[in-house]
Amino acid sequence: MNRAKTLRSTLMALLAVGTTLLLAGCERPPMESVQHGFRGTGMVQVYNPRALEAKIEANELPVSLPPASDEGPRAAKAYQNVKVLGDLSVGQFTRLMASMTAWIAPNEGCGYCHNVANFADDSKYTKVVARRMIEMTQHINADWKNHVADTGVTCWTCHRGQPVPNAIWFKANHQPQGSNFIGDKSGQNEPHPAVNLSTLPNDPFTPFLLEAKPIRVGGNTALPSGNRASIKQAEWTYGLMVHFSQSLGVNCTYCHNTQNFSKWEGGPPQRVTAWHGIRMARDLNAAYMEPLTEVFPAHRKGELGDVAKLNCATCHQGAYKPLHGQSMLKGFPELSKPAAASTVTAAAEAKK
Amino acid sequence: MAMLSFEKKYRVRGGTLVGGDLFDFWVGPFYVGFFGVTTAFFSLLGTVLILWGASQGPTWSPWAINIAPPDLKYGLALALLAEGGLWQIITVCALGAFGSWALREVEICRKLGMGYHVPVAFSVAILAYFTLVVIRPVLMGAWGHGFPYGIFSHLDWVSNVGYQYLHFHYNPAHMLAVTFFFTTTFALSLHGALVLSSTNPKPGEIVKTPEHEDTFFRDIIGYSVGTLGIHRLGLFLAIAAVLFSALCIVISGPFWTRGWPEWWSWWLNLPIWSQWPLN
Amino acid sequence: MAQYLNLFTTVQATGPLQHGVPLGPGNSPRSVEPFFSYWAGKLGNAQLGPIYLGGLGLASIICGVFAITIIGMNMLASVNWNPVQFVRQLFWLSLEPPPPSYGLSMPPLNQGGWWLIVGVFLTASMFLWWARTYRRARELGMGTHIPWAFAAAIWLYLVLGLFRPILMGSWGEAVPYGIFSHLDWTAAFSLRYGNLFYNPFHALSIAFLYGSVLLFAMHGATILAVGRYGGEREIEQIVDRGTASERAALFWRWTMGFNATMESIHRWAWWFAVLCPLTGGIGILLTGTAVDNWYLWAVKHHVAPPYPDVFPAVTDPALSSGAKP
Repeated sequence: MNRAKTLRSTLMALLAVGTTLLLAGCERPPMESVQHGFRGTGMVQVYNPRALEAKIEANELPVSLPPASDEGPRAAKAYQNVKVLGDLSVGQFTRLMASMTAWIAPNEGCGYCHNVANFADDSKYTKVVARRMIEMTQHINADWKNHVADTGVTCWTCHRGQPVPNAIWFKANHQPQGSNFIGDKSGQNEPHPAVNLSTLPNDPFTPFLLEAKPIRVGGNTALPSGNRASIKQAEWTYGLMVHFSQSLGVNCTYCHNTQNFSKWEGGPPQRVTAWHGIRMARDLNAAYMEPLTEVFPAHRKGELGDVAKLNCATCHQGAYKPLHGQSMLKGFPELSKPAAASTVTAAAEAKK
Repeated sequence: MAMLSFEKKYRVRGGTLVGGDLFDFWVGPFYVGFFGVTTAFFSLLGTVLILWGASQGPTWSPWAINIAPPDLKYGLALALLAEGGLWQIITVCALGAFGSWALREVEICRKLGMGYHVPVAFSVAILAYFTLVVIRPVLMGAWGHGFPYGIFSHLDWVSNVGYQYLHFHYNPAHMLAVTFFFTTTFALSLHGALVLSSTNPKPGEIVKTPEHEDTFFRDIIGYSVGTLGIHRLGLFLAIAAVLFSALCIVISGPFWTRGWPEWWSWWLNLPIWSQWPLN
Repeated sequence: MAQYLNLFTTVQATGPLQHGVPLGPGNSPRSVEPFFSYWAGKLGNAQLGPIYLGGLGLASIICGVFAITIIGMNMLASVNWNPVQFVRQLFWLSLEPPPPSYGLSMPPLNQGGWWLIVGVFLTASMFLWWARTYRRARELGMGTHIPWAFAAAIWLYLVLGLFRPILMGSWGEAVPYGIFSHLDWTAAFSLRYGNLFYNPFHALSIAFLYGSVLLFAMHGATILAVGRYGGEREIEQIVDRGTASERAALFWRWTMGFNATMESIHRWAWWFAVLCPLTGGIGILLTGTAVDNWYLWAVKHHVAPPYPDVFPAVTDPALSSGAKP
């Protein structure tokens, strides 16, 4: 009888320890949930308020310098080698330069981009890159309103006070030791943070956000009508979607009713914004990042010698809208001007 | 009288928990009892409410009828009837009916001099339902987290709730539950087959014995759990499947908000090997 | 009042070791001297062994070990032969089928060739083991219900790894050998084909899966509940109905209006368990071959539930812009 009691209490103790261990790997309740579809469909965003607090802090806007007056000579006249932003006043130009220093290189100062003995000099690669980035910012704000609306972006959106943004990507060398005749990973089957530590393909960026491979895999008809997409292709799309979720801090039901992933009608409008975001990422990587490959030094490039590229996380950094939808653009109208003809010259300069 | 040939001697009074002799009778083959009455009440009311709810909806197709829970904004309050309140009342009826059924089974066990294993096992299943429609919604702060009553609509709920965690297959409790589900089915096929293979032997042979059953499994895999053991094992596997299922859903949301694949980072970062990169 | 619950054996009576029903001519002698395990005896029989190791079993094990070794070697190679990383990343490691571009041809070893070789050996191992279960049943003069149940499982395995890939014209459609990776395959399969919940054979298979768990809970609990009347002596109760079977049957008759017999419950059990992989295999086979999008199929057959619109109207932007999606 005692033996049975001991057995029972041992089992109870084991159960308690097991449950504690399982829960120790988990988060503490209570959680907040936001409904996002018809009731009972399960389209809900679930947030841990404690994690959200940290995120809110991380997405606070930096203090902007007070606006400068538009009076006085134009920057192009007052300074040399001003290829972009030449039509700003000296005051506005200087203010933007000071802001960029704060946004990108607060510890490194003006010397991060400029030769302080001759500010016009283009010898530092960072200056050439920065010039192109200004054009990229203007292009995003003017030509990609279907993704960034009037909220827009500034250098801070990606850089957040660092010369190199937190979330960039390189083409990874998945098997640096090679795999010869055995042990190929097929670009997946390893725990990778890009895909939430799952075994999904972990570089969906090259095919989908650099190249324009088709993302859709589902068919449009009930019966087969020529859709040759494979299950493996579905895994690649899934990997991209996991990246979307992580980058925005949302789950799949933010954009989809998973009853039918392919269906657009009756679904959340966020999916349309995301569709434009994909095209924007492709555009920026192909037209702005890739052409800068020769400008960046080796220590800024990836294992395979490729330039840093952007994906959703670069701007969003875990928030459903970068900086939780707060706009800095009103204080910096020069960053929302359409890119001028100087783009061509700047690009040509960059390629030299 | 719908009685089996040997049944009469077992139809004795007694064993009731509530009501004494008042409801201690049979209707056809069914035992009534106090809890038979409450079962009938709750199930009838619940069914009528479901049918009424269907009449308010766009379809009568049994596959597409949907009784949805309230919006999350109602929190843990009672919602308007047409805005999820109906779902709430039907849920109360369901719990009442399931609980009554279990207690009725207890009365039947007592009358037949049997152990309570069946109602206890059934209670675990009721616990799983209770977890889905009461425990988890309460932990999440709103009745609206319950699943809708509809054949395909409840599957849409399963799909969406699963994708809330990006890749639900990585939920460790879900993995255990699925394993127990498949293992139970496997064990059931073996047990059913084994008994039938003894009582329906090779043509021309006589019925075999438990020694044959044991010998078969010892020949195949070196161990035979035996006639009593297989029933203990089967019950354990089945109950484990249901318990881990309830666990896997109650932790999703109240105790974990991120993707389930990410939960596994504790293993990858164990001190014994965290100093080495992953590739 | 404390009651014995019949869940664990409290007092284990030890009898002589059983060496098994004698086999006829043409069979090997049994190997491994049997012994008792106290802890096994808490749940079921205490005796471990003997085991029958004949030609079929040996061949099956050899093929199986070969297959598992190739899988393991590929996994180890993929972490650059590092045993610590092998243990650390085990659940993530995998051996993938070939890319779809190779169709049904033999791909290079490192691009699905190893996967195909494993498939051959694993299938051979399964068929040999099946033959083993058949031979052992026959040699003991028993029915072949176990081999035929096993055949249902092999059907599902062949559908997943052989029949469907052939019908689709690509080995790449088959399942990878890996713990997390085969779960990715499962999710991707449903994503590609428009939500497998709407596949009626998938629904049937799940009904039989849950039904099997329900049945084993019911049957296991019932037998334990009549253990005091010798309920677990099922063969005896079948040929000579005793009070255990009678009470068990009446419990269910009084509860739900109908009942099985001591034999027929095992037929319910067999069919529910066997129909799970059987219908499941049919559902997989029809996917991609006969149906490309199960949700749209359900819409076509008027079974998909409609939901009221709660969002502003949305249309596919690819259609309006004229750009490729």
